[in-house]
Amino acid sequence: MKGARMSKKLLLEKAHVEGIRTYDVYRREGGYRSVEKAFKMAPGDVTEEVKKSGLRGRGGAGFPTGLKWSFLAKPEGIPRHLVVNADESEPGTFKDRYLMEFIPHILIEGMIVSSFALGSNVSYIYIRGEYAWIVDILEQAIAEAKQHGFLGKNILGSGFDCEIYIQRGAGAYICGEETALLESLEGKRGNPRIKPPFPAVKGVWDRPTVVNNVETIAAVVPIINDGGDEYAKIGIGKSTGTKLMSACGNINRPGVYEIDMTISVEEFIFGDDYCGGIPKGKKLKACIPGGSSVPILPANLLLTTAKGEQRLMNYESLSDGGFATGSMMGSGGFIVLDEDQCVVKHTYTLARFYRHESCGQCSPCREGTGWMEKILLNIENGKGKMSDIDLLWDIQSKIEGNTICPLGDAAAWPVAAAIRHFRDEFEWHVLNPDACLKENYGLAHYADPIHIPVLQ
Amino acid sequence: MADEVKNDAPQKFKVTIDNISIDVEPGTTILNAARQIGGDVTPPAMCYYSKLEGSGGKCRTCLVEVAAGSTNDPRPMPKLMASCRTTVMDGMVVKNITSERVVEARNGVVELLLINHPLDCPICDQAGECHLQDLGYDHGKEGTRYEFKRRTFEKEDIGPFIQLHMTRCILCYRCTYVADQITEKRVHGVVDRGDHAAISTYISKAIDNDFSGNMIDVCPVGALTDKTFRFKNRVWFTKPVDAHRDCENPKCCGKATLWLRGDEVYRVTARKDQWGEVQSYDGKPGWICNTCRFDKKKTDDWTVEGLTTISRHSVIGANKYAKLDMPADTIKKVLHGRDPKLLMNIHNVSDVNNPNIHLSEIERPAHMDDFAKSGEFVKGEGESTQWGLPKE
Repeated sequence: MKGARMSKKLLLEKAHVEGIRTYDVYRREGGYRSVEKAFKMAPGDVTEEVKKSGLRGRGGAGFPTGLKWSFLAKPEGIPRHLVVNADESEPGTFKDRYLMEFIPHILIEGMIVSSFALGSNVSYIYIRGEYAWIVDILEQAIAEAKQHGFLGKNILGSGFDCEIYIQRGAGAYICGEETALLESLEGKRGNPRIKPPFPAVKGVWDRPTVVNNVETIAAVVPIINDGGDEYAKIGIGKSTGTKLMSACGNINRPGVYEIDMTISVEEFIFGDDYCGGIPKGKKLKACIPGGSSVPILPANLLLTTAKGEQRLMNYESLSDGGFATGSMMGSGGFIVLDEDQCVVKHTYTLARFYRHESCGQCSPCREGTGWMEKILLNIENGKGKMSDIDLLWDIQSKIEGNTICPLGDAAAWPVAAAIRHFRDEFEWHVLNPDACLKENYGLAHYADPIHIPVLQ
Repeated sequence: MADEVKNDAPQKFKVTIDNISIDVEPGTTILNAARQIGGDVTPPAMCYYSKLEGSGGKCRTCLVEVAAGSTNDPRPMPKLMASCRTTVMDGMVVKNITSERVVEARNGVVELLLINHPLDCPICDQAGECHLQDLGYDHGKEGTRYEFKRRTFEKEDIGPFIQLHMTRCILCYRCTYVADQITEKRVHGVVDRGDHAAISTYISKAIDNDFSGNMIDVCPVGALTDKTFRFKNRVWFTKPVDAHRDCENPKCCGKATLWLRGDEVYRVTARKDQWGEVQSYDGKPGWICNTCRFDKKKTDDWTVEGLTTISRHSVIGANKYAKLDMPADTIKKVLHGRDPKLLMNIHNVSDVNNPNIHLSEIERPAHMDDFAKSGEFVKGEGESTQWGLPKE
């Protein structure tokens, strides 16, 4: 690969230092500086730095973090809370696990600074139940931080009190949706709430609450250390700073990579410093660049946009072309499919996941996800009809946008994108009911360059 | 002080729904504003229940298009909004039946609500007063595009008064709100999630709180029905009358609707308003206690006030209460005064119901044997005509 170079690292820079999981080593390597610095600032100025940094939520939606913080209602006498969303359950996404497992203190440090900025004296980490061993690691980190005076009463003599508690989820994807998370944190069934009111006004126990992703809160550390302006210099346009990508699928080097959002998709997949290409010299067929909910793209639209430009690994470039020819950055769960993968089967797998994880509150999602799964299984097993493809399209359109929370959209988009870009493959399954059980459609024309006329 | 508050009372908000404008109190939802207008403009609501706090937003049948958010911010809202949980703003413009998007989305929701519904209306006690039937009639298609086995659940006995049919449930959550807000303690809830979510007591506990019977009244479908009325009659054969009694339970309003056949009280329910909700008296919802509902099954127990007003469109009211100009009977005339018994009263002739059995008084659900005359419906007896017509 041409000129591959490593991106600047802010979060994972010290990930491989021996013993970085412990307070002593983390502190020796410069940890908790941002807390000391933040306490010399006014809380509002901390928020201002985050605004300047251009940091966008790393959980999937990409909403500007500083702006979200500034929406937090501050009524007299009512406690406010910071809740960290560590319910990382999006298939293909495992960056937060890596961060919490190897450098737990960066999350605790980021939480103290963020809690200070938001005025949260009791902050929570809501972590997915399956990450049981990470709870132990985080509890250890919290205990160490407390022992060294970074948590508890009057931290470092600043007058600011802060406690962090960890709450484990019970294995539901839906509890990663912020209002379902808050319900679950309150000890209730994890059904998403109807918004408004938004958590910034009425969150956990009806108190103003900010819910942020693990990576977002960790990114606050370098922002305060280096300043928001410095952070904003990294990256392109509104994609500032660094982003953790969880790369998986048919690649030589799966894992978590910190990128600075200036590299191209091609470099990320084939570069030796990143995914290292596709095993056994196979060809790239498709990719889901931002976790299972975002639209799948065929190779030709993945590497170059419809305008013919090279596609980059950042919010704007990945979504260039909208859903017609683009996708989304999402949570950074980068799933690569080689030429031997079956998009129908893959879509079925995702539909099965969303059917299983729907909370069942709204009728379109509860009923529609199950219907789509059944039809997809039929097509996958060579029992489908041509009309099923149009029916799938119709069902997903009836779910999308008509539900309380984004899970409905997340269930609809993968099906819509698969049909939009891989309709030939679905039709091949219908027309070749025997062959589709023994072989795959293969790469077909999905990597061929396409030319879409640019409308004036 | 009170006068000051009155003077400062906020102005009313003007909202336009399907080109009809109305002024409503701030804080009113679009759905309730539409109900004030009434008629076709009102979106259907399967999960919202104005007397149950927190209800609504789930079934998505009441979705509407907000074409203009308010006078100050006239931008349209990009997504369709649940009208039951969206409050109006001054100058808001809403499209309900005038929006193609809404009509299509609503038809989609109705289709999705029906794909796993058993469609067992012929044997469902809710038939005739079922909101899902009405919804299907208004928005459903003739056929179905669903070609899979419909969802089933394991049967669960939730006590002596309420029959649970989970297959008919649309998960509106109304019954859980009743249990939370009206009974002493909730012993049931929604377990599991997604398409396998179910109403359950989890450990087959009996729901027997004093006010648990109100769950039957709020259930929009046949998922929760009255066990004491089970299989005893179709609602449209019974005659609803308003009645009251001095109930010793202070929380019970004592005002009910009795569903009669002759002098037999087949069923007691709370009184319903035009939206199918329990009627309010002096601003308080008229819930009734289980004693009134399940134990007082004699007309002597009640002071009957008169016939319940039933909407003309309801099957219960069909041919009964509307003043119809019946065409004159011409048969006698054309037969020159002869009056043959061509048209016989089916009840006199057929004795459909065994005159010796009082269906309303049997403890268990009615069984086919209860409807049989002695000697009928017995296997192998081909002589007897199954319709009970007299043999010539």
